[in-house]
Amino acid sequence: MQVEYALEAINHAGTAIGVLAEDGIVLAAERKVTSKLLEQDTSAEKMYVLNDNILCAVAGMTADAGILINYMREEAQRYLSVYNQDIPIETLVRRVCNVKQGYTQHGGLRPFGVSFIFAGYDDRYGFQIYTSNPSGNYSGWKATSIGANNTSAETLLKQDYKDGINLDDAKKLALKVLSKTTDSSKLTSEKVEFATVQLTKKQPSLKIWKPAEIEKLLEESGVQDENDDKEDKN
Amino acid sequence: MDAAIGIRVNDGVIVATSRACTRSITILKPDDDKTRILNEHNILAYTGTSGDTTQFADYIQGNMQLYSMREGVDLNSKGIASYIRHELATSLRSRSPYQVNILLAGLDKGDAPFLSNIDYMGTRVDLPYAAHGYAAFYVMSLFDRHYRPDMTLKDGMKLLKMCKAELDERFPVVFKGFQVKVVDKEGIHSSELE
Amino acid sequence: MSQDPSTYNGGSAVAMVGKDCVAIASDLRLGQQSLGLSNDFEKIFHYGHVFLGLTGLATDVMSVHEDLRKKTNLYKMKEQREIEPKSFANLISSSLYKRRFGPWFVGPIVAGLNSHSGKPFICGFDYIGCIDFAKDFIVAGTASEQLFGMCESLYEPNLEPEDLFETISQALLNAVDRDALSGWGAVVYVITKDKVVKRFLKTRQD
Repeated sequence: MQVEYALEAINHAGTAIGVLAEDGIVLAAERKVTSKLLEQDTSAEKMYVLNDNILCAVAGMTADAGILINYMREEAQRYLSVYNQDIPIETLVRRVCNVKQGYTQHGGLRPFGVSFIFAGYDDRYGFQIYTSNPSGNYSGWKATSIGANNTSAETLLKQDYKDGINLDDAKKLALKVLSKTTDSSKLTSEKVEFATVQLTKKQPSLKIWKPAEIEKLLEESGVQDENDDKEDKN
Repeated sequence: MDAAIGIRVNDGVIVATSRACTRSITILKPDDDKTRILNEHNILAYTGTSGDTTQFADYIQGNMQLYSMREGVDLNSKGIASYIRHELATSLRSRSPYQVNILLAGLDKGDAPFLSNIDYMGTRVDLPYAAHGYAAFYVMSLFDRHYRPDMTLKDGMKLLKMCKAELDERFPVVFKGFQVKVVDKEGIHSSELE
Repeated sequence: MSQDPSTYNGGSAVAMVGKDCVAIASDLRLGQQSLGLSNDFEKIFHYGHVFLGLTGLATDVMSVHEDLRKKTNLYKMKEQREIEPKSFANLISSSLYKRRFGPWFVGPIVAGLNSHSGKPFICGFDYIGCIDFAKDFIVAGTASEQLFGMCESLYEPNLEPEDLFETISQALLNAVDRDALSGWGAVVYVITKDKVVKRFLKTRQD
């Protein structure tokens, strides 16, 4: 029962979107600005690096996420210590989902109120996206969304996603979908978080984008212009 | 007084282990198998204190089978070597450490011939040729002289025969010959040293 | 038969400070007492821009490296920056001392440049974590006595990277040639502000 409450709570959290491209992965997320008095954290608060080959986006209770992120980082390092190679994405996802599932079974404790989008690369399946929710279920995707408006985001993704899409187009698609599902009229670097997974010299490289870089990307992608058009029509 | 020898060649890996199972001054068994098959392309050979050896080898074998079931993919050779090293290094600081030396032979990712030498402390080195036991003192110098990186399995077997001849001539202990196993693209098979 | 874990596998390492640069080097041998096993066993590791030489019992060299890799990786993710040489030295010190009563049999040396100030840093440790800060050179391993001799006579302060490479290489080469447990090839890193140069040295093979 508690799981359903947790799932419902996440449906009010800021949207996060993941798009799988042939040469990489894009994660984009909306950061909700709750009050203008609130000190704006310049570092990412919804994107986290979990290992040299994996990062994730968070929707839900940030404090709960912190616990799980810590667990996953430790687990990834434990795997590295034993096998001397990066943990496969699905292995890590399964392990954290086992923890999540555990909290749905025992009385007295509440579930983790967190959904994740995982993005990573390993030599088993290449680039991969997974989502997990408080129940401890996980699934793999070409493009997906968690948090508020995730159903409409997924509808948009289903319309516009094409197999074999490249990373640049995936970036644009992610921003476009985010701009349409977000409540605020205009995307700004204060409201958007952005991360990519790529291969450089055949090794996975992760990047959580800085506000200035996001600003530049928003300009180049032309997403804001389209949004302005939308505003005008309204 | 047991021996394990490994040779990595172009198209596979050869492992040979002594056939005698000895206790004190008695040979208990003349056809002992000191190897365990871990998965399609990886095999482990061991020497050390009897009891510890089979116990540890079975434990590794079981865990590699478990890994394959859980992950749906076999662990690659480098991963297995690291895992074994980790187990032995952990065991070394426990109340009763396993006294087992390991040769791991396989095709890494089902492709690249791979040979790893791991001693009971967890010291791991990946080598073109390796040996455990007193036999190492005799055969390592033979390998230094005759091993070539472009050797084939056939050449490898010839080299192994030289090792056996040397041990038969110079080594004072009878070990009832070698049991030979080969890992190549087709998998793992037993072989004979005529 | 010697029962000393710190000389069972053999191996040596050395680090030196130059002008706005540092160098660190090790041999490549791994043996079991008198029997040589590998001429491909590097004892220099790096964690971001900080370099570590690890001599001693080979299994502990690997274990300590794995432990420090885990700790520096977590540090990197939590702090969102790479660890600096001085913090890394203290991390090693506390990690080794934590195992005071069941120690790792290793002789670590650290070399690196501070990423903000560019200031060279080297130091060494005993196997329970006592830090030996030095401003010129640090030695470790089974040829440490020979290395002390070579460094004392060859070292001079404020060497340029190319000269530092020559000095550290000659010091290591001539030291390991007088040690039966070290040698079988060598590797040298010269670390400057904007690049790291890694070179393998050929040595006597006996």
